[in-house]
Amino acid sequence: MNGSTGSLRHRMATSLCGLAVVVSAGTALAAPPAPTDVRAADVGFDAGSRIRVEWNAVADSNLAGYSVFRSLTPGEIAAADRDSRVAFATAASEAARKARAAELVAEGVAPEDADRQAEQAAVEAGAAASREWRPETAEGEIRWTLAGVADPVDTTFDVDKLEDAEAYSFGVQAFDRDGAKSPIAATTAPASSEASAFDAKRLPLFLMLALLCGTVLLFISIARRGKPLKIRTIAGLAAVEEAVGRATEMGRSVLYINGIQDMDDLQTVAGVNILGRVAKIAAEYDARVEVPTSRSLVMTAARETVQGSYLSAGRSDNYNPDLIYYVTDEQFGFVAYVSGMMVREKPAACFYMGAFFAESLILAETGNSIGAIQIAGTAMPSQLPFFVAACDYTLIGEEFFAASAYLSGQPDQLGSLKGQDMGKLLVGAILLIGVAMATVAAVTNSETISAGVSFLKNTLLGT
Amino acid sequence: MAKAYTPGLKVTPRIAFRSRRLLPIAGKVLVAKGDRVTGDQIVAETFMEGDVTPFNVASKLACTPAEVPTLLSKKEGERVEQDEVIGQSKGIFGFFKSECRAPVAGTLETVSATTGQVLIRGEPIPVRVKAYIDGVVGEVIENEGCVVEADSALVQGIFGIGGETAGPLAMACKDPAEELHEDLITAEHKGRIVVGGARVTVAALRRAKEVGAAAVVSGGIDDSDLKELLGYDLGVAITGSEQIGLTVVITEGFGDIAMATRTFELLAGKRGSNASVNGATQIRAGVMRPEIVVPLADGDGVVASKASEGVLEIGSLVRIIRDPHFGVIGEVAALPAEPAVLGSGSKSRVLEVKLADGEQVTVPRANVELIEG
Amino acid sequence: MQIGRTGRAESTRVHPSFPEKTRIRMTADSDHTPLDLSKISVILATDCGSTTTKAIMIERTPEGFRQTYRGEAPTTVEEPFADVTVGVVNSVSEIAELSGRRLVADDGTIIRRSSPDDPDGCDIYISTSSAGGGLQMMVAGVVKQMTAESAKRAALGAGAIVMDTIAANDKRRPHEQIQRIRELRPDMVLVSGGTDGGNTTQVVQLAELIAPAKPRPRFGGEFRLPIIYAGNKDARPAVEAVFDGPGFDLSVVENLRPTMEQENLGPARDRIHDVFLEHVMAHAPGYDKLMTWTDAPIMPTPGAVGDILQTIARRQGINAVGVDIGGATTDVFSVFEEKFNRTVSANLGMSYSISNVCAEAGMDRILQWVHLDMDERELRNRVKNKMIRPTTIPQTLEALVFEQAVAREALRLAYQQHKEFATTLKGVQQQRTVGDVFSQQTSGQSLVDNMTLDLLVASGGVLSHAPRMAQTALLLIDAFEPEGFTSLAKDSIFMMPHLGVLAGVHEQASLEVFERDCLIVLGTCVAAKGEGKIGKPCFKYSISGDLSEQGTMAVGELRRFDLGPGATARVEIQPERGFDCGAGPGKAISREVRGGTVGLVLDARGRPLMLPEETSERRACLSRWIEAMDLYPA
Repeated sequence: MNGSTGSLRHRMATSLCGLAVVVSAGTALAAPPAPTDVRAADVGFDAGSRIRVEWNAVADSNLAGYSVFRSLTPGEIAAADRDSRVAFATAASEAARKARAAELVAEGVAPEDADRQAEQAAVEAGAAASREWRPETAEGEIRWTLAGVADPVDTTFDVDKLEDAEAYSFGVQAFDRDGAKSPIAATTAPASSEASAFDAKRLPLFLMLALLCGTVLLFISIARRGKPLKIRTIAGLAAVEEAVGRATEMGRSVLYINGIQDMDDLQTVAGVNILGRVAKIAAEYDARVEVPTSRSLVMTAARETVQGSYLSAGRSDNYNPDLIYYVTDEQFGFVAYVSGMMVREKPAACFYMGAFFAESLILAETGNSIGAIQIAGTAMPSQLPFFVAACDYTLIGEEFFAASAYLSGQPDQLGSLKGQDMGKLLVGAILLIGVAMATVAAVTNSETISAGVSFLKNTLLGT
Repeated sequence: MAKAYTPGLKVTPRIAFRSRRLLPIAGKVLVAKGDRVTGDQIVAETFMEGDVTPFNVASKLACTPAEVPTLLSKKEGERVEQDEVIGQSKGIFGFFKSECRAPVAGTLETVSATTGQVLIRGEPIPVRVKAYIDGVVGEVIENEGCVVEADSALVQGIFGIGGETAGPLAMACKDPAEELHEDLITAEHKGRIVVGGARVTVAALRRAKEVGAAAVVSGGIDDSDLKELLGYDLGVAITGSEQIGLTVVITEGFGDIAMATRTFELLAGKRGSNASVNGATQIRAGVMRPEIVVPLADGDGVVASKASEGVLEIGSLVRIIRDPHFGVIGEVAALPAEPAVLGSGSKSRVLEVKLADGEQVTVPRANVELIEG
Repeated sequence: MQIGRTGRAESTRVHPSFPEKTRIRMTADSDHTPLDLSKISVILATDCGSTTTKAIMIERTPEGFRQTYRGEAPTTVEEPFADVTVGVVNSVSEIAELSGRRLVADDGTIIRRSSPDDPDGCDIYISTSSAGGGLQMMVAGVVKQMTAESAKRAALGAGAIVMDTIAANDKRRPHEQIQRIRELRPDMVLVSGGTDGGNTTQVVQLAELIAPAKPRPRFGGEFRLPIIYAGNKDARPAVEAVFDGPGFDLSVVENLRPTMEQENLGPARDRIHDVFLEHVMAHAPGYDKLMTWTDAPIMPTPGAVGDILQTIARRQGINAVGVDIGGATTDVFSVFEEKFNRTVSANLGMSYSISNVCAEAGMDRILQWVHLDMDERELRNRVKNKMIRPTTIPQTLEALVFEQAVAREALRLAYQQHKEFATTLKGVQQQRTVGDVFSQQTSGQSLVDNMTLDLLVASGGVLSHAPRMAQTALLLIDAFEPEGFTSLAKDSIFMMPHLGVLAGVHEQASLEVFERDCLIVLGTCVAAKGEGKIGKPCFKYSISGDLSEQGTMAVGELRRFDLGPGATARVEIQPERGFDCGAGPGKAISREVRGGTVGLVLDARGRPLMLPEETSERRACLSRWIEAMDLYPA
């Protein structure tokens, strides 16, 4: 890959640039000779804004390096000229003010007043200077700016941060250890950069992506072939039957709280998924599931899910939509209702699945006090400790989202779950390696390891 | 442990065969003592209470269970037809009434005010018992069934599958050591009881099924063939209810084993006669073996000498029923009183058997069975 | 959890009703003096099995109670005798002949001693029975894993065979359930469901399913089917109303699951025994007579075996597992932390069910225990031939090796089923701390923990009649995979049922005989839990006392040392990292071990026991183990 791009680049460079034109500049005696055959060409397979400059090496034992220049674009020239004009005018105006003020002081004007009275002269001088100002270079002449410095062994230099589609000329100047400089050797034809369809720098990222997707696909195909995929048992989900069973035996209801967020929250969606499972088991056991919701849309979604569950359990006649109802959007109004109901009706099993805030502990503690089996699931890190302490089982973050795949047992879902886990494992491993390498690099100051770290940071994981 | 497995299988040219034909539950006996019956004649009949279909009316009508009896239009014991409306909710001001229809036809058995559950008892299921063999009703058991008697030739097999069937005997093999392959079974065997020789192959059994044979009797079968035929690995030897469209009786055991010559000759002598076959086997307490019964015409055949049951003595004909000499028939040559150490290291009472080729082998007494007759 | 434990401990008491009943019977019988334990010195016990009736005599000797004589006779429940007492008298007569003590009176009853010097008769006579297929029950509960499981535990603990478990959530439609109930012919039905004050509807629904199905009892057409109700007390009136028909005989006992956290099996178990006697036994031929002879109620054989195991475990403070492998079924009993469980694996056995073992385990798994070349097709046919001719015995070494391989798998499967059944209560509230966040465990974990298992008792033909004791020992080790220190023993003449009944009457006598005559101690197995590469070091051992040895065991190694019956030795084990012999991974442990007919077995094959996949490698491994144990004749 690298070899072929290299040669391609070389060919393009040769065709685009002819001979380098030696632009004479003030040179000292024994100055190094100017580099010859300066060529410039767009760097392929990148995101643009980068041009590679090449030249023939200069034979000089005292060579210290090359300065690489690029031409300013017309826009840049205009901006530079404007700055320069303003600076020239300001300087002239300041000088005029100082001179005039000195005169006035000499005439006996108080120094405070002199400055103010000199204002007029300063303005006039500034305006005059502005009119007088002329650009340093003539129209059509290349204005150079230093793009970078290359080592004496280098014969190429990548100039970046360029505007795509803008024509640039490049010049290379050799300088030696005594500070003597050669004339700037310029390219014969301007070059411009452009973004390629593929950016080779992103290749590692692409490979990573392919690997991650590949593992997902691989595991899906493995699962489809009927090979059992081992997924860690999630105690909280395994305990659903137990909780519903308990409610059945005790002749009490099952309470299901779907969080207090709306359907646009992913956690609510995950919660509704699990509700489907809970309702199906409840239908099989002929237990009552009560679902108070704090959003109307959640109520509708929950009703549809529960109805589906009753249907698939073959007990559609036992489905009662009145048990799934809307209470209030108000956070604590909802909590007050649910807590009250829990104390009055004493459900034997409580599920909290969704996004929870301050109400988590109130609900879980109430549930605990009435002796219910409680299963919680949330991705709210701040609420997890409360649930873990007060509930019998808790689905933590990732487990909560994986639940639907886990419960469905379908090869596609299980395979993708397993594949994603592999991806996470990979990223985790890279992070660990990176941290270890960065530490080693910091301790040993090893260049190679630092390079490795920056590769990981910038190429593999970064931009 | 140390006594011979003497109650060997009966292979007898004439026996007063009695078949108890009983209903599983009390019913009506259709024959009287002394009646002549044919094998496929129904001798007793009863009606079993139909299947019960429960369904919850309370949830269908969205009412409390206590209301259910008042909302039903039918009373317990009344007849209902399928999809007949049997209950209606009160609704609101006479509107929005919901209905409840009977899922099956039958009789309304119970209505529960506790659960709202209603049970409908389906149509009675007739249970009939056939005579099984051609013979005479020897005894009538009131309300249960009867005993059909016939002097018959009887061959008990060691293992069988499939239930009762009947048909004329047909010989497919020429000698008892000939394996029963599919090419030996022809279209002529339709409705017949095909008698093979040694091992029967699964292909032969398939062919027999194709041509519509009633049953296949042979010496042995491979376990793998049996598995293929049944579609599952037989775990426990309780058979008789398989629905494979064919009754199979194995007379000797599993593997390559020839049918006992006596058995073969007995069956060959009855070729063309009508026989009844039952494959039902139960090897548990109250052992049941498959059988082939050939009812004899009066005065037909010789009366078997009363077999001396279960006496193992020098000169008795025995079959070795365990490897390494499985299936071999020989004569008891010695009955040492002292237990001997076997090749396996265990001590057991043994006997010496003289095989047909003159060789004498020692086997545990538990591993032989007496051949009667 | 704690509450649950107390609940179960209560239920495992040894039939609280027995001593009381015994007393009643004793005083009612004016023929002999009331029961005074100190005066009992001759005990006669019989066990009426389905084929053989076994009688034993236990006498007080200067060294304590000993089993002295035994007799056997065929059971006579079926035609032509149809009277169980004939077999009992025959077996007892054999003892009478051997002991010179007259035991059977002219009228055919058992003679009781009139005075402590009476040379004839016995002081007490007791019996168990499993004739006629034992006690067959159907149980029902609301949730399969909860009340239905508790009901099943009660039935199995009482010694019954559970034919089916009906539950609201057993995935069968109601009409299928009814169909199933109709097909079965149970001796009795146990209905449970709901906690006290809990579910009523579904409990009544269960009753409503069972009543119209009218299951017919096994014995006699006129017989009313006994139903025991042990569910929610609130549902009692409704259940009573449902079973208020001519075909049923309902008895109500305390709820066997009064709360989800508590199991109270005692009352239900006792009632099962009562009903067994009143209804089932009374209808079996000759039992009415036998019942008047005995001084303690006749118990189902497995129930009695369970009782003796519980008594031993309680008295010695140990965890014990007992196994009885028969021709048709395999029973596993366990007592862990004083909780008793029994399972019957109905179709795992060595003759009638041998083919089923092969079907369930798969021929490959069975053949992995075989070190000889065998032809699979031939073996399959042999298995079936054994099934249709169940009484044959292996004659060649090859046949024995194969039969023992099948036995390993039968035992392994039965133990696996047992582990799945013997669990803590399900549906129980859990207490958590934040520390549990990644280690949440569900309730219903198996109680069976091989590491804490102290005693493994074997009985049943293939185990007790193995030509060499070492074969029995290795069969047990391979099938049960005990971990840490485990004593292995076998029931010498299947005396455990007799002793189980005796334990309810005279616990001291029963325990003394159990220790001295019932058990043949095979030895002790010391096994390391963990996995490793074959050949790597597993643990170091140093043995002192009656045996002095030390060395290192490599993974995959098995070693046996002679340590005779009665001998003891102190074994110190230093396991390698990742291996556990009872003190935790890599931690040293030292224990006193008992010798036996096999001796001390050190097992470094790892747990779970893994055999090499590759055939020749596996056979080499097996051959080494066989050599180490001196298993088969060369």
